[in-house]
Amino acid sequence: MNLGARSMSTVRSDDEAFEDLFTAEYARVVGIANRVLADSHEAEDVAQEVFIDFHRLHSATAQYAPAWLHRAAAHASLNRLRGARRRQKREVAQALEEGERTLDPQKQLEVDEDRRHVRAALGRLAPKPAAALAMRASGLSYAEVAQALGVGIGQVGTLLRRAEAALRKEVTRGTSN
Amino acid sequence: MVDDPDARAGDDAAHLEGCTECRGRFEGISDDAHSVASLLAVPEAPVEVARAFDRLRSTPASRQRSVLRLPLMRPSSRPVVLAFAAVIAGVALVAGVVARDYSLNYTPNTVTTVPVTVADMQALSQLSNYGDVTWTRQPQLQAATSASDAEALAGMTAPTVSNLPSTISTNITYGAMTQAEAVFTFSAAKAQAAAAAQGKALPALPAGMDGATLTIKVGPAIGEIYGDLQKPAAGSDISQMTLPQLVVVKSSAPSATSTQVTVKQIEDYVLAQPGITPELKAALNAIGDPSTTLLIPIPVQYATSKDVTVQGVKGVALGDNTGVGAGVIWVKNGVVYAVAGSIKQDDAITIANNLK
Repeated sequence: MNLGARSMSTVRSDDEAFEDLFTAEYARVVGIANRVLADSHEAEDVAQEVFIDFHRLHSATAQYAPAWLHRAAAHASLNRLRGARRRQKREVAQALEEGERTLDPQKQLEVDEDRRHVRAALGRLAPKPAAALAMRASGLSYAEVAQALGVGIGQVGTLLRRAEAALRKEVTRGTSN
Repeated sequence: MVDDPDARAGDDAAHLEGCTECRGRFEGISDDAHSVASLLAVPEAPVEVARAFDRLRSTPASRQRSVLRLPLMRPSSRPVVLAFAAVIAGVALVAGVVARDYSLNYTPNTVTTVPVTVADMQALSQLSNYGDVTWTRQPQLQAATSASDAEALAGMTAPTVSNLPSTISTNITYGAMTQAEAVFTFSAAKAQAAAAAQGKALPALPAGMDGATLTIKVGPAIGEIYGDLQKPAAGSDISQMTLPQLVVVKSSAPSATSTQVTVKQIEDYVLAQPGITPELKAALNAIGDPSTTLLIPIPVQYATSKDVTVQGVKGVALGDNTGVGAGVIWVKNGVVYAVAGSIKQDDAITIANNLK
């Protein structure tokens, strides 16, 4: 029975490590997804998926855990952005939220339209620069972006600069079309 | 730089002050950065961590850490599945069927194959209707970034391939499994109910079978996958990874102990289940000393195995020399080894013999 007790404590401590990781990183994972999707509910769904995937395959004590989560959050939300399913869900959600708006309806419509344009442009970028932008915009440091993308910290500045220029170009192209 | 204060310190900052060209470029970049920051601006998502964690915990998927999601187990990698599934399934079969002593300490020191049919496997899987399985130690499979990480997780040294054929990539992905322990407790009531539900007669339960336990320990183990495996793109399904060229597995030999009944009684009971083929019964009965033999169940149609000598002990080689797939399994000093992949059987045997 000693064996059983010891094994139970091993399981529990692993669960505790995962809970600690979740507590430490959940807000940032949601933040990255929200930056990409501009939809907090959907961002939370992405965060749930990302943590479940992580828990299935990795140890919460792994050094690479935060970097893996950040990258997964960016990629999973960018995938959603490109997916047809998202467009449908988004339209439904927008219709539902219409009544809750405090902003002038016309103004809100414009803001929504702008956000949609920007997200469409983000979805057209290559995955790496798009992920870099989303992570940086949600507050990750250069070092964290570098770790999540598996690039040297010296490359992050160049990567971001090119990504920013590309996004501006895409947004302009999308608007003029 | 631009929006990273740490990157714009010291010499860089001094240079920007004095150089018009660089300052102009910097301002252009800075403009891009600010413009993108405002483009990507969104209202912050309200975050309630505790509520979110409760939601996660209530998701059934979050409680499963499934060994079956290993890329090794991908159905299309047939030879690898054969070898690896054989080790895992062998443990289950062995534990339920093999040893004959009371409270034995089953520790295999040799291997042999047992041809099984789908009907046999289905019949064996029905055993879960006859009791409860409790993991006293969950199998935890973890990807490791290096051999030393895997060693630390599994608490054993990682095997080293000393003569890797030049056609095989030197990219190695490591995995580690901690020791897992499961207890199967027979339940007469459950068995009766299961039999009644299927309209079948329950084979008579031996005295003491109700409440008897069978404890199975598996692992720890280390797996090494050679080949240009794509790193699992974050957020993607790991089963989408490409097939490995070579897989090397090292695992502590499984062990099994029983209480209340002899394992011989358990064996007889298992063999009395409807659905077990006469061939399987005959194969199991033909094994000389089952308490020291690791059984490798091989689907009948793939049963092209042969006995080989590996590192001075008896092993089993599967597959053929076409290069489609082959594997070798052997037990030495209480440790089970497997070498398998999309290689020729001769190569698999050579790699096995030179494994350090």
